[in-house]
Amino acid sequence: MQHILEELEKRREQARMGGGEKRIASQHGKGKLTARERIEVLLDEGSFEETDMFVEHRCTDFGMENQRVPGDGVVTGWGTISGRLVYVFSKDFTVFGGSLSGAHAAKIVKLQKMAITNGAPIIGIFDAGGARIQEGVESLAGYADIFLQNVLASGVVPQISVIMGPCAGGDVYSPAMTDFIFMVRDTSYMYVTGPDVVKTVTNEVVTHEDLGGAKVHAQKSGVADGAFDNDLEALTQVRRLIEFLPGSNRDRAPEWESFDDPLRDEPSLDSLVPSNPNKPYDMKELILKVLDEQDFFEISADYAKNIICGFGRLEGKTVGVVANQPQVLAGVLDIDSSKKAARFVRFCDAFNIPILTFVDVPGFMPGTKQEYGGLIKHGAKLLFAYAEATVPKVTVITRKAYGGAYDVMSSKHLRGDVNYAWPTAEIAVMGAKGAVEIIFRAEAKSDPAALAEREAEYKARFANPFVAAQRGFIDDVIMPHGTRRRVVKAFRTLENKQLENPWKKHDNIPL
Amino acid sequence: MFSKILIANRGEIAVRIQKTCRRMGIRTVQVFSEADADMLAVEMADETVFIGPPPASESYLVQDKIIDAVRKTGAEAVHPGFGFLSENPVFARRLQDEGIAFIGPNPGAIEGMGDKIQSKLTAIEAGVSTVPGSTDVISDEKHAVAVAEEIGYPVILKASAGGGGKGIRIAYTRDEVIEGFGSVQDEARGAFGDDRIFIEKFIESPRHVEIQVLGDKHGNVVHLFERECSIQRRNQKVIEEAPSPLLDQKTRMAMGAQAVALARAVNYDSAGTVEFVAGQDRSFYFLEMNTRLQVEHPVTELITGVDLVEQMIRSAYGEKLPFAQEDLKIDGWAVESRIYAEDPYRKFLPSIGRLSRYQPPAEGTYQGAAGTYVVRNDAGVIEGDEISMFYDPMIAKLCAWGKTRADAIDGMARALEDFHLEGVGHNLPFLSAVMDQERFRSGKLATSYIKDEFPDGFHGLPPTPFQLDVMTAAAVFAQRMAIVRSLGGHGGRDEWTVMVDRQARPVRVLPVESGIEIELTAEDRVLRLEGCDWRPGKAVFRASLDGREFTAAIRPAAQGFEIRHRAADARVLVLAPRQAELMAKLPERQPPDTSRMIVSPMPGLVVSLEVEVGQEVKSGETVAVIEAMKMQNIIKAERDGVVKAVGPKAGDSVAADEVLVEFA
Repeated sequence: MQHILEELEKRREQARMGGGEKRIASQHGKGKLTARERIEVLLDEGSFEETDMFVEHRCTDFGMENQRVPGDGVVTGWGTISGRLVYVFSKDFTVFGGSLSGAHAAKIVKLQKMAITNGAPIIGIFDAGGARIQEGVESLAGYADIFLQNVLASGVVPQISVIMGPCAGGDVYSPAMTDFIFMVRDTSYMYVTGPDVVKTVTNEVVTHEDLGGAKVHAQKSGVADGAFDNDLEALTQVRRLIEFLPGSNRDRAPEWESFDDPLRDEPSLDSLVPSNPNKPYDMKELILKVLDEQDFFEISADYAKNIICGFGRLEGKTVGVVANQPQVLAGVLDIDSSKKAARFVRFCDAFNIPILTFVDVPGFMPGTKQEYGGLIKHGAKLLFAYAEATVPKVTVITRKAYGGAYDVMSSKHLRGDVNYAWPTAEIAVMGAKGAVEIIFRAEAKSDPAALAEREAEYKARFANPFVAAQRGFIDDVIMPHGTRRRVVKAFRTLENKQLENPWKKHDNIPL
Repeated sequence: MFSKILIANRGEIAVRIQKTCRRMGIRTVQVFSEADADMLAVEMADETVFIGPPPASESYLVQDKIIDAVRKTGAEAVHPGFGFLSENPVFARRLQDEGIAFIGPNPGAIEGMGDKIQSKLTAIEAGVSTVPGSTDVISDEKHAVAVAEEIGYPVILKASAGGGGKGIRIAYTRDEVIEGFGSVQDEARGAFGDDRIFIEKFIESPRHVEIQVLGDKHGNVVHLFERECSIQRRNQKVIEEAPSPLLDQKTRMAMGAQAVALARAVNYDSAGTVEFVAGQDRSFYFLEMNTRLQVEHPVTELITGVDLVEQMIRSAYGEKLPFAQEDLKIDGWAVESRIYAEDPYRKFLPSIGRLSRYQPPAEGTYQGAAGTYVVRNDAGVIEGDEISMFYDPMIAKLCAWGKTRADAIDGMARALEDFHLEGVGHNLPFLSAVMDQERFRSGKLATSYIKDEFPDGFHGLPPTPFQLDVMTAAAVFAQRMAIVRSLGGHGGRDEWTVMVDRQARPVRVLPVESGIEIELTAEDRVLRLEGCDWRPGKAVFRASLDGREFTAAIRPAAQGFEIRHRAADARVLVLAPRQAELMAKLPERQPPDTSRMIVSPMPGLVVSLEVEVGQEVKSGETVAVIEAMKMQNIIKAERDGVVKAVGPKAGDSVAADEVLVEFA
């Protein structure tokens, strides 16, 4: 009997060694942790339960039959983060470079199915070389099996991908279909085709870093939702994100004790909006001063910075925050910012996370670059996302809410539940100057002085929140210093909100 | 008494003056520019008058606007504060002609002391000691030597038109005078087209000591002892104190008597300051007289109990001084720190913007560990105010009074800890560093203090053993609080490895009734953290560690916390031992070698990039011009090198720390 028990321990020990000491040392040498070490950091201490530790590949070509490592290049299992169940798979670069075999894929698929059935987030850690070429189509089939589960899981359980090494070719599409992607600076990269292929096909010479490094994806492409300095930092932040999220679309977002006064006033907010309407200010100050404990988990902080998206809490309960950032491009909506926010709003809606929107938007970005890029359809995504969202929606207009962008930004007309405006709000079709230039086109040419007068008139008439408030499009005009209190109270009324969209197979958002 | 006073100033001094007015039952009129519409002084005043656009030359300095405002509001007197119109005899005279009282000295006194040469002659006549030197132009080397020997070495040879460090030589010997004379003359001729040279006594390691005087319209003048303002940066006072650690009673009274004599000589009838340069041997020489209230007047008020603004108002009204010289005594010691919106880590570049957090320590009496101290904070801002580019970037004047100099300094150090600012860069860490310096504490000051002590600029100080403990304890407490909450009340583990800037310390945490005990397992010591009211979200961490009170600034980072205590700051991680082990396997991210790079010190727009790849650049050469907040900043090379790469091009926006030029 003892002998059998020892055999188990021996096999486990062998599996834990992955690709062996030398490869583990090489992994550390590159500034990376191993697959198992990453899981240790990610999960609560001692909570990891490994599955399929003894799975091996079935390939017999190219001498593969002589190379077998238990686990086959991916560590899978479940555990807890702050006491809550999560599923995790972590690619093991020390075993066949983390490459994907049929068996390896099956392990992941099994886990994905468990996550969906049991309603818990699934976190994938990527550090791998792509398909197991020796396996050919078997490997490709494995990829597709994973992709399918990604799609089925989408909107059912939160899916998070952490790129901590190479992630190329077929490997990129699974993360691409998850909710959030995080990367590690300098040690991770992500692309469909690598620098060698790029050179062969297009003669373009480019480094891994410049083609698909963390900086590229967190700032330029928007593929990644965040970049961190090292493995520990990235995983610590994933833990923080998980604390904001429900286990599945069947749950409410988690709640914890807040140490912040829900009715706290912030007198300094009364001076946040500068008296000069063209002067920028930092919307993040408002966000931080409204949320509990100044705690804000920003998504895609370095991409499309003219809109801010992220998670925070009010009275200990998660809210998603979307806010125009007047400090960047005057907070204008363009292709990138519309896409970024639309995806975020849809995530919140899918997972029962109420949405708090702060509006200071001068409109949509004009220009050929935007129009040629399809601004109409991309802008419509955000409009679509807000309109279809049935979660509680509270909106505060701080300054500009011009034109179609006013409609888009969680307006009353798109089923905003509670819509407030600061006294500094200007809700209008456009800025006063542009408006009078159109209305009084003839006069504009002959008498510029009169035009200035008209502008002042228009401003007095429309550059305020009261016209909208008269019509009930704004529920109340509130003092900036009381924003937290008012927003908290508004969300309290929405605790039991019930709203359903007509049955459909799925919608047809303008992709 | 006046029933209404107009304050022709802004910011903290306007608030300061209004406070006294209010106490005296006088109504206040506050003028303000466009940039100041929301300032505290406007909010506090009984009446306000708008006087124009932000630049002072179009508002606070326009006499007509001020006089119009007086007429419009029926104010009977004007307090000019300092700066702006405070030392403008024309303005004082105009008010006189209009029958409006000027709360300051008579125009004659302003004029008499306003002219450098005239004031020096008046001083000599009044028996005030002045820097020995030649009164006329030095004709040749022989003359130079004769004058130098009469004055006594060391001497300084100065070009009449000199400035900016040019046309100046210090000579310790006859030979140096001869050699220096020729070169200064050449330099002056070349640089200024004017080769007239003067010789003066050179004072080594000079200190700045000034005497506060106060006069009335009845011929009474007293002095309120001295202030020392030697801690300066580029002639800008940073830390002041009263009394001066340099003076003994004999010197103090001698200086006071001279200052009073000078004030009498010009019929001085308000608050004023006679500035001296003092040698380490307590020799002192007249520099100039400031015919106004001085920025650093609070330290004098704290040690004498006299409200100088009140006395100025009473004198202007014609009242007699309520005290004679012998009634005045020094009680205790006071230190003032000027809190500036500037970035001490970046060569003290001005930092403007919105004060998103402004939480000064409460004014009043504190019971410190060593002794009692009193905090006074003169400020003109509230949270959310803008530190604008149009005016002085001073945020507040923080003062601490104590029975002894040590008490005052300890009190100041604590008050600086309790000062919390966000939104703009500030010099709190720098001021704290000075308070903790042995040289400052021993009173061995000089106007070169900052240059001597921080020759390569300010980079913070490494944590002391106590500060390491503070950081360790604060981080453990904060982490524990977060974990207990996220686990829903389960305490989690007790053993942790704390890493302060990667220096590992294993700890074991024990909750005790009053706080927590942290056993430093490798050092065989226990830290006891008590009285802590910190909760997640607070940026200020107050507690006592082993009975010693402290306040630290704490901010959650991507991992761990950024903690600053006084001049020391660090990233502090609280890790499970296994995580610490893993952490050790990750190589430390090396900060990019910035010695080979020139980075933008601030966010802004690149106006021009003056170098190109391959170009050889000498230290001091301009490499780029960055415009930030309408100010052009010239970025210079700090070393020689060949340009390997240039980052942005003209017209690009750059972030702070973005690489502009990289050397090979």
